[in-house]
Amino acid sequence: MVSLRVARAEDLQGMQACNLQNLPENYTMRYYLFYLLSYPQVSYVAEDEGKIVGYILARMADEVLDGEEPHGHVVSISVLRAYRRLGLARKLMVLAQQAMVSVYRASYVTLHVRKSNRAAFKLYQDALAFRVVETEKSYYADGEDAYVMRRSFKEPSE
Amino acid sequence: MAPTTTPPARALPARESSLFKEVLHNYEDRQLKKGLKAAETILKKFPNHGETMCMKGLILTHMGRRDEGFDLVKQGVRHDLTSHICWHVFGLVQKGQKNYDEALKSYTQALRFDKENMNILRDAAHLQTQLRHYDQLVETRHTLLRLRPQLRQNWIALAVAYHLHGNLTESKNILAQFERIVKNVPDYDIELSEVLLYHVRVLEDLGEYKEALALLDTHAKSRMIIDRVAIMEFRARLSSKLKSEDAQQAWQGLIEQNADSYDYYRGYLSNRGIDLDALTDETRVQALQTLRHFAEQFSRAAAPQRLALAVAAGDEFKELLEPYLRTRLAKGIPSLFTDLKALYRDPSKRDIIESVTHALLDSLAHAPDAPCPSSIDPTMYVWTLYFLAQHHSHLGRHDKALALLDTAIAHTPTLPELYLFHGRVLKRAGDPYGAARWVDQARLLDLQDRFLNARCGKYRLRAGLVEEAVEVFGLFTKKDAPSPSQDLEDMQSLLYLIEEADAHRRNGNYAMALKRYLAVQKVFDDFEDDQFDFHGYSVRKFTVNIYLNLLKWEDTLRSHPAYVHAAIEASRILVRLHDDPSIANKASSQSHLSEAEKKAKKKAKKAEKKVQEEAKKASANGSNEDKGLEAGPPKDDDPDGAKLLQAPEPLERAAKLLKPLSTLAKDNVQAWAAIYDVAVRRKKYLQALQALQRAHTLDPASPDLHTRLVDFAQRWKALNDKIAENATTVVSSSLAKFIPEDVPPERFNSQYLQAHSTRGDAILGAAKASQLLGAPREEVEAAVFGVLNPDVALQLETAIAVDAFLAEIQSPRVDEFRAAAKAKFPLSTVFAPHAELPALRKSAIGLAVAEVNAEKEEFIS
Repeated sequence: MVSLRVARAEDLQGMQACNLQNLPENYTMRYYLFYLLSYPQVSYVAEDEGKIVGYILARMADEVLDGEEPHGHVVSISVLRAYRRLGLARKLMVLAQQAMVSVYRASYVTLHVRKSNRAAFKLYQDALAFRVVETEKSYYADGEDAYVMRRSFKEPSE
Repeated sequence: MAPTTTPPARALPARESSLFKEVLHNYEDRQLKKGLKAAETILKKFPNHGETMCMKGLILTHMGRRDEGFDLVKQGVRHDLTSHICWHVFGLVQKGQKNYDEALKSYTQALRFDKENMNILRDAAHLQTQLRHYDQLVETRHTLLRLRPQLRQNWIALAVAYHLHGNLTESKNILAQFERIVKNVPDYDIELSEVLLYHVRVLEDLGEYKEALALLDTHAKSRMIIDRVAIMEFRARLSSKLKSEDAQQAWQGLIEQNADSYDYYRGYLSNRGIDLDALTDETRVQALQTLRHFAEQFSRAAAPQRLALAVAAGDEFKELLEPYLRTRLAKGIPSLFTDLKALYRDPSKRDIIESVTHALLDSLAHAPDAPCPSSIDPTMYVWTLYFLAQHHSHLGRHDKALALLDTAIAHTPTLPELYLFHGRVLKRAGDPYGAARWVDQARLLDLQDRFLNARCGKYRLRAGLVEEAVEVFGLFTKKDAPSPSQDLEDMQSLLYLIEEADAHRRNGNYAMALKRYLAVQKVFDDFEDDQFDFHGYSVRKFTVNIYLNLLKWEDTLRSHPAYVHAAIEASRILVRLHDDPSIANKASSQSHLSEAEKKAKKKAKKAEKKVQEEAKKASANGSNEDKGLEAGPPKDDDPDGAKLLQAPEPLERAAKLLKPLSTLAKDNVQAWAAIYDVAVRRKKYLQALQALQRAHTLDPASPDLHTRLVDFAQRWKALNDKIAENATTVVSSSLAKFIPEDVPPERFNSQYLQAHSTRGDAILGAAKASQLLGAPREEVEAAVFGVLNPDVALQLETAIAVDAFLAEIQSPRVDEFRAAAKAKFPLSTVFAPHAELPALRKSAIGLAVAEVNAEKEEFIS
């Protein structure tokens, strides 16, 4: 029985384990703590009988210059392979976005995705209305380029 | 404020005094070279000026010369014991070493000589929180508030301190006071919103629900509280507690916002008097009605439908199950079985699931050689086979599961899940080598997927193939890390550390096993240290609720299964070491590094050399680089774990590892067994017996408890014969509660065996006890062979444990047992004769990609 809810401190180890199993971009617990303790409302988890099977780790941009609108950023999102096809990634993203808007009045959210990750790209573009705004060369540790994608909250659907 | 009369040794003439001020400024600005020079100038004329010595030591620490710096700081303190500067510096450096206890002592000393120094007070508060000295924390926070009442965070920090100390009422009062005086709050201020939400939470914790709800509603309306989800959650909970009519609407609103949260459905139903864990016939009907309604309203959410399955019974359950299964099998959802598994606790539901799914399979079945008829959905067919394979394997019918999987693979050879699960079934059946091979095949189907890679590595570790596992993990670890192992350890992969430790342990490599288990301990130590910065940070940010959540998590940190397992297993190795110190010497002589490890060692040496050269360059230039107060991670000077194994006082180390378990794993029989093993060897007989008492409360029939009772009786008897009578009544009378004084241990043992004669693990336990009591080896062997009797429910784990035991007592009947065990577990390979092991190990590495492709082509054409 998979349940979706706001992330809490005791979920962080499970999120870290989920991340280590699925993605090559990993973080020490310090980072998880920093994001959760700074922006506690915007990270969500998918939990199955106490086990974290999916998560979205998000934050707000801290340095907001004059004239720049508040905006959020997806640090990491992943669902265990055994729990795919349930629409969890999409649901987690929507919940995080709702929180960014309602708590921080975010105008948009950004994320990075590997150029070669077609499945993720499709999810962000088709199911979640993200658009590519630029390419960051050699963003990933192994040298791969990233698409920077953005989803605006201003119009109902862009 | 410094005392008005400076002790003679501290006072400096004008020139040096202003130089000292320079040192302080330089340090503040991290102008380390300048500061060092200025300090040394003062020390030339006043070599025993404590405060300058301390500042120089502090600067040296920042420059990376930590040992030198620390020694100098200590000297400096000795030369000026009443200087707040000296104690403050000492505390800073100790804090950087993560020695929080000593750091707090130093800060406390510093405060004696400068009671109102804000920096010292703040640092002291952080340390007091870290060490959970909440009474001191309240005092410190009071002082800080008194000194700077215009600083908002000082109010909040005091409220939090009261809360932590258990005084919610005072916390509430401080918050109320704060809210009365706070001014000039901009619109939409997230910080004040968090403070108010914290206040609401305090009121809820105090049971003042009306007040909490009133505060919530007032400030939600005025948009002072802006976290919509939090508002709704508080409102729903509080309204329910007040049995208000608004509660239902509140829960409804939450579900509308997130229809995938079980807590919300639970809350909604609970509010209507329906307890999902204790349904009556009446509430069952009501619950189903509600859930059906929600399922219609929120068709994209799985929760209402899945909950309905938990609630429904009999025919109604069947009626709901069929469409639920069909949709998900047609979609090809891998987690369907995991999803329904919880329902198996009810045997009737389990049987219905089996019959419904088999009926479905029958309707989909077709001749295996012919292509799939157009009337049949091939996706549904494959996933139904997959589901049933999981079902049957779960119920122990591994042969049936494998047959189903083979049909599925023949039908759809490119689905990794099928190979993965094939491996899992073999693992359960006792064939770790075949399991590893199949999981490798899954991995080869999608080399971009780290999940499959991680599984493959894990299964290789389960098969004892450590080098090969690390090789596979290395496909996804950082290329610039010294080794895949180091990267996984740096990234705190507990899964990796535990699995590799276990593999080493099974291979008899206690040095490496211990090394990895202690690495797990280090990860948890780091998790504990991580909270430190937040004692200041969260107060500054006003994110109190999540901060309190953090502290709560930290308080029970080591209850995590990874820590418990690592602590127990590490302590077992250390106990072994104590019982047989020769193990340590064997380890170092056998130490041979694998190819990967040799490469890593070379790489590390190279990197180390580079660092040293750069450091030399830096110190030659006298760089200003601030290396901070905390030393980086130490280099690994014990790559094969031999030094760890040779370290002194293994029992003390084991005791330290196990200490948290007595509170955080108090329902774990294995934990108490481990605590006993260490305590009894440290001659702490009362503690040892108490551990056994705790185990007994949890599981009186436990074989691990039984053997230790006998063990204790033996030790106690031997001791009693030497020492005087009365000194030992408490222990004796407690022991007598388990083994009556007139019952010799042999009889106690045979009574136990008789009482549990159909339990394989009990038979083994009794045999172990027999051995402790000095029975001849043949007798012990005969006893242990009793697990093979037809009326004994023998588990695979027990058979493996018997095998290990026979090896330990150097029984000549090992091969005989293994052959018999193999007959009992026909799919297993763990009981294969030793001669077959090399071939088995080789077979565990999967087919090369080319071979897999060749096989695929066979099916497609």
